[in-house]
Amino acid sequence: MEVSKTARESNGDINLKIVTQFILHAPPGEFNEVLTDVRYLLNNDALLRDQAAGVFVQYCKDQLTPLQVENSEHGVLITEFNELPDGRFYDPRSQKSFNFDPIREEASDYQPWTPDATSESWRLNLEELWTNYCKEHYFNGCCSVFGSSHNGEITLTACIEGHQFQPRNFCNGRWRSIWTTTFNPSSGQAELRGIIKVQVHYYEDGNVQLVSSKEIKKPLAISSENQMSHEFVQIVEDAENEYQTAVSDNYQIMSDTTFKALRRPLPVTKAKLDWSKLLNYKIGSELKQH
Amino acid sequence: MYKSQNDQLDHALDLMRRLPPQQIEKNLCDLIDLVPSLCEDLLSSVDQPLKIARDKITGKDYLLCDYNRDGDSYRSPWSNSYEPEIEDGTVPSERLRQMEIDANAAFAQYREMYYEGGISSVYLWDLDPGFQGFAGVILIKKSGNGSNKIKGCWDSIHVFEVQEKSGGRNAHYKLTSTVMLWLQTTKQGSGTMNLGGSLTRQSTKDFTVNDSNPHIANIGSMVEDMENKIRNTLNEIYFGKTNSIVNGLRSVNSLSDQKQQEALRIDLAQALQKRQAKNDSST
Repeated sequence: MEVSKTARESNGDINLKIVTQFILHAPPGEFNEVLTDVRYLLNNDALLRDQAAGVFVQYCKDQLTPLQVENSEHGVLITEFNELPDGRFYDPRSQKSFNFDPIREEASDYQPWTPDATSESWRLNLEELWTNYCKEHYFNGCCSVFGSSHNGEITLTACIEGHQFQPRNFCNGRWRSIWTTTFNPSSGQAELRGIIKVQVHYYEDGNVQLVSSKEIKKPLAISSENQMSHEFVQIVEDAENEYQTAVSDNYQIMSDTTFKALRRPLPVTKAKLDWSKLLNYKIGSELKQH
Repeated sequence: MYKSQNDQLDHALDLMRRLPPQQIEKNLCDLIDLVPSLCEDLLSSVDQPLKIARDKITGKDYLLCDYNRDGDSYRSPWSNSYEPEIEDGTVPSERLRQMEIDANAAFAQYREMYYEGGISSVYLWDLDPGFQGFAGVILIKKSGNGSNKIKGCWDSIHVFEVQEKSGGRNAHYKLTSTVMLWLQTTKQGSGTMNLGGSLTRQSTKDFTVNDSNPHIANIGSMVEDMENKIRNTLNEIYFGKTNSIVNGLRSVNSLSDQKQQEALRIDLAQALQKRQAKNDSST
């Protein structure tokens, strides 16, 4: 069946919506593979190029994509928190802004960037401890801390991304954490809100995924930069340890109890079925009935 | 740039292998909306979680899949009738229907032995007249009781083809098995945890066919071996592999402590080795 050009175009909006959802749901480390699939299925590169570029950046922000930046041993994360109004991103560590290419995952056109004066001392203090925390607990972690202020209220957002991409072993995984607090430096008390997301994909002759998330709220005392940073990181360390331990416990119960109750490894007799006997019994019982 | 139908199907299947399996049904619907010409191919090649229906005539539950579907109706293996009713719905030939009845009874026993509950359905269909043989699907569904606040569900889909040889004394069996396993929990400590998806495996085998080794017994032992194997693999991948990837992302214990301990272990081992070497040379 040949679809006319106009019919195809009127379906363009719906198709674009579908394709957008597919791209945003690409498992960690498989953006390019999903994009290739979607190109073949949409069969309209012009539409994809003109209309979907924003989706590529959205995906990178959702995933907290880590990025190498020039003259910095630490990378920076691509997030909604360090996106500038003109679509560029900034790295608070190296104080540079840059253009971001979501397909190549590359930065270009570096420009000087000036931090927010009110929040910077708090941000800088937290960044040091946060970077250390990331190194202490993440095997391949990248982290950033962003700061801003509004009418004297400071907002700090600390993010961590850790991933393992092993396409040769058909498995990928990513951990994302976002912790944020807004406070008035003289208020003494604030709330620390966190969200942890973990996704794992195994796809050798199958498709198995772990999708897990947890939201957390804790009170946070505010007296000085140093005190706040220490308490912030301590709360996060405790909360993330608790989450990870609880996930491991669930794995144990799922394996020991839930899985076993679904299907036995062998029947109660501890022997495989004798199929010809099983059929004969049935035929025998049928004969009796007739 | 025109993409061929085959290319598109390959990419559609690749996409289904990547998108979160927890949303199979939605993703499949969207894919069909996107490329309507792939509809039939996708419905027959993408396995979906099994749905349950109740046979109005016998009152027994049966499972729905693409193989007992005709239009918008599904055939029950118990009464051999379609719901909602349709005229001229496809039914197996008389010989095959008899075998289907026996197969349903045999696999119900198999299910009781391994699953101690659940629902099973077997559907058979005739192949082209030029092909000596037939095909079928064995479906099993078992849901957990939700103890420990964890929901669990198992779906087995075994599609097979039987090619009869040498006047029916031998047969070649081809089996494609998919097991879907769904585990889900929401708890205070762990938040939401959804572990699910499917594994697919294939096997082929030749068997003698006679009164004591009828087709159903041959297929039954193949399905039994396959399910036992897949169950082991599921155990390794779900609870071993994906868990170890999580623990390869983040460590509960401090990594510098671990490194120090590791360095200490190496130092100790080297010191022991040196002493050993010294003792060896002095004797």
